Amino acid sequence: VDPIDRLRSAGRRVTDPLETLAQHVAERVLDLIVHTLDVNALLQRVDVNALLDRVDVPALLDRADVNAVLDRVDVDALVSRVDVNDLVRRVDMDTLVEQTDLGAVIARSSGGAASEALDAARSQAVGLDQFIDRWVQRALRRKHPAPAGPPGLCSGGVGP
Amino acid sequence: MTTGTDTVRSVTSQGHYAGSVSRFLAYAIDITASSAVFALALAAISYVARVVTGHEVSWNKGNAVVAAVFIAWQFLYFGYSWAASGKTFGMAVLGIRVVMADGTAIEPRRGALRSVVFPLSFLLCGLGFLGILVQRERRALHDLIVGTAVVYAWDARAARLRFLAREASGHHGAGGPELPITVRATIPRG
Repeated sequence: VDPIDRLRSAGRRVTDPLETLAQHVAERVLDLIVHTLDVNALLQRVDVNALLDRVDVPALLDRADVNAVLDRVDVDALVSRVDVNDLVRRVDMDTLVEQTDLGAVIARSSGGAASEALDAARSQAVGLDQFIDRWVQRALRRKHPAPAGPPGLCSGGVGP
Repeated sequence: MTTGTDTVRSVTSQGHYAGSVSRFLAYAIDITASSAVFALALAAISYVARVVTGHEVSWNKGNAVVAAVFIAWQFLYFGYSWAASGKTFGMAVLGIRVVMADGTAIEPRRGALRSVVFPLSFLLCGLGFLGILVQRERRALHDLIVGTAVVYAWDARAARLRFLAREASGHHGAGGPELPITVRATIPRG
């Protein structure tokens, strides 16, 4: 029997339990530190901008295979989770038309002189209707406002 | 010609009871259009009669037959329009339509009946139309009898977008012809 082997074997018998013990101690200590550590306070002391300045984003992107990541994304499942109607409702069409060339496109496709005249005539008629209605309501001294429209078309609205 | 305030107001008025001015203007357009069509039809008949018989045919306004045919034509014009789509030509121009009192689409039978009852509002010295001004739901006598109402039904939102588009096009001057925009004063709010 090789005496060196016997020594190694004896050493392992001592070091293995010690290693396990050290592992448990380290885990426990880390656990305690994490629990006692105020992560928010720690983060406040970190200069994230300085940290980000040191990150070489192009190099990072070069290392990432974006196509592979995208291939793994189930776009259909993702889209099905999006409430498109809600998304569309949140679009400010007025601003969109005013601030983009979309306005010019709409104007060219639908803005004939006839439609402009019709829009104006209808708008002015609605304005005159409401003007007369206000005076009539005032003359009749109505306390409760009249319904704005039929229940099937206006839910609970009241007139001007 | 129109302002943003007008178009915003019009957008918020969609589905509301139509007022007296819109309804009166629509009726005026209808009477003009239906009378013009009737006059054209009489002229066409006169021309055909002259070609066929060689005699001049003239229509007397006091002629009972002509009057009866004119009245029947009026019933047909209004009755068919209301029964078919809930709106006449004039109403389509002003962007209003007839609906049931609860807001649902008008039943064809009610549309036809409305044209029969409609003259009642005239026969009572026009008092039947007073409801458009004073009745809470702006319903005239014939509306109350038939169970209908008149509402704004044009696509004011599209009109607003067209207005904004014209304005944006004018500001950007993005190629193409510039659309003229005339701004009028807004109606005072009493």
